[in-house]
Amino acid sequence: MIASMTKRTIFDSILFAYFFCVAMLAIFAPSQAEMLNLGRNTLVFAIGLVLGAMISYGLNKASLKTLGELIFEPAYKKASAEEVSWTKQAWSYQLILFLVITFTVGSIMTKFSLTELLDEDGFAGAARLFKGLASPNMDLLPRAVLNIIETIFMAFMATALAIPIAFVLCFFCAKNIMKGPVGFAVYLILRTFLNVTRSIEALIWAIIFSVWVGIGPFAGMLALMIHSIASLAKQYSEIVETVNEGPIEGIMSTGATRLQTIWFAIVPQVVLPFISFTVYRWDINIRMATIIGLVGGGGIGTLLIQYQGQAMWPEVGTIILVIAFVVWFMDTASAYLREALK
Amino acid sequence: MAENILQIKNLKKVYPNGTQALKGVSFDVKKGEFLVIIGLSGSGKSTLLRCLNRLHDPTSGEILFKGHDIAKIEGSAVRGVRKNIAMIFQHFNLIPRHTVLSNVLMGRLGFMGTVGSLFGLFKADDKQKALKYLKLVGIGEKAKMRADNLSGGQQQRVAIARALTQDPEVLLADEPVASLDPATCHVVMDYLRKVNQELGITIIANLHFLSLVREYATRVIAMKGGEIVFEGDPKEINDAWFEKIYGAGAKEVHIN
Repeated sequence: MIASMTKRTIFDSILFAYFFCVAMLAIFAPSQAEMLNLGRNTLVFAIGLVLGAMISYGLNKASLKTLGELIFEPAYKKASAEEVSWTKQAWSYQLILFLVITFTVGSIMTKFSLTELLDEDGFAGAARLFKGLASPNMDLLPRAVLNIIETIFMAFMATALAIPIAFVLCFFCAKNIMKGPVGFAVYLILRTFLNVTRSIEALIWAIIFSVWVGIGPFAGMLALMIHSIASLAKQYSEIVETVNEGPIEGIMSTGATRLQTIWFAIVPQVVLPFISFTVYRWDINIRMATIIGLVGGGGIGTLLIQYQGQAMWPEVGTIILVIAFVVWFMDTASAYLREALK
Repeated sequence: MAENILQIKNLKKVYPNGTQALKGVSFDVKKGEFLVIIGLSGSGKSTLLRCLNRLHDPTSGEILFKGHDIAKIEGSAVRGVRKNIAMIFQHFNLIPRHTVLSNVLMGRLGFMGTVGSLFGLFKADDKQKALKYLKLVGIGEKAKMRADNLSGGQQQRVAIARALTQDPEVLLADEPVASLDPATCHVVMDYLRKVNQELGITIIANLHFLSLVREYATRVIAMKGGEIVFEGDPKEINDAWFEKIYGAGAKEVHIN
């Protein structure tokens, strides 16, 4: 009840603060220097938040349902609510306002321009590029194949090394295993740590590691591994959290230790979904390894960025062809594998 | 007069959400008896059994197992108690993907070193014991089958065999036949009686059907709202008691 009201208020406040800031921008049209004044901008946003919270409270009090209320309303209130036309509620206007404002601001921000898209010179350039891509230079094929093999192994090593670490970690960040105050603290710290690690893109990790161990496939592999550990540990732990409690009770009742219980009651239940997620992760890693090569992570990506830099489009075309084939193949193969493992 | 194997004194259990599942329950269990606990769903029967082998932690009160209070012990002492007080469940709680034999061997986990058990290094003696008890419950020939390929009644017999390989003194049975059909029901109950009479293992079972209670129990306890409302001979339960336990208007269902 309190939680749902807090969520509603935060949601409505942020939404209103956003409206408020856009309105301020439109009215005062600040200069570039003023736009960079973070302190004052934060203050404007904070005022928006406070006003928003008050308006949200007022509107809901007058039973004009806001968007926050619509989303976070607890089930029991939803069941007893009367049918009210959407034109008579606040949320519909909030939603329309949000879409209109966001599209307007978005078009300005991304400098959306039809004239540039249809510009003749630019169009001719793109056509040249496509022509190059469409007539790939097959002399580069052996080199591209060698490099994509490097990429596949990079992805494989990253996944393989991540599996045991993620496997051990996942039990420490599963809520149904980490009970009690100490367990919950470990769970929270580990979850936060993994979330932060995961939210740093593999691309950034690749830049960090290319400074650390030097540019090349090793840096790319390490970057993918870190990202895979965080992602796999999270996915694994979510599977662990959905296991059937029955076998756990059954094994515990024999006087088994906690480790024995995990090994005999939980692991048999999760092993197939684990394999399925791991195969999928390898598949994702191959695609990511290509991108990581662009920042010096080795493999086919590095080759791609070299030829792209020299605008050698037929060679780029060959590389893209090889990448597309491998990604398509891995995608299909992993889909079949995961289907069979269900 | 047989000695008391378990003495429960003023046992209380309050769940974290505030539900009072047990409001001060006291009774004795004699060695070798077949004690049945009856009562509506939510009357505290399952909670009571789970407190006895410490799958749940009681809030207060005493559980004397052969004279020692086990209500507040922790860690390896709890595991020692669980080895001695085995349990079977309504939904059998087997490991579906493992073989029947492997499931029965789980009963030996408490007697093994952790590392050895994780590699599945069960002793030859343990395997002999597991097979012996599988034969005792009449499914010796199913040892190599996957547990989830067995029928409900057979799975419950695997669970009984698993409990027996622990060499327990007490066997708790939480609604052992509630998810079985009436015919299978009697097969499983007959094996429980066999365990009780031939191996001398004390049995405490939660049951729903009074006809089963009259047939198998040597003594009965009825619970309502977390308290004991009747304790005595199963034959003493008459219509008046029945109404008191299950509420007015309830009708007894017979299964044969």
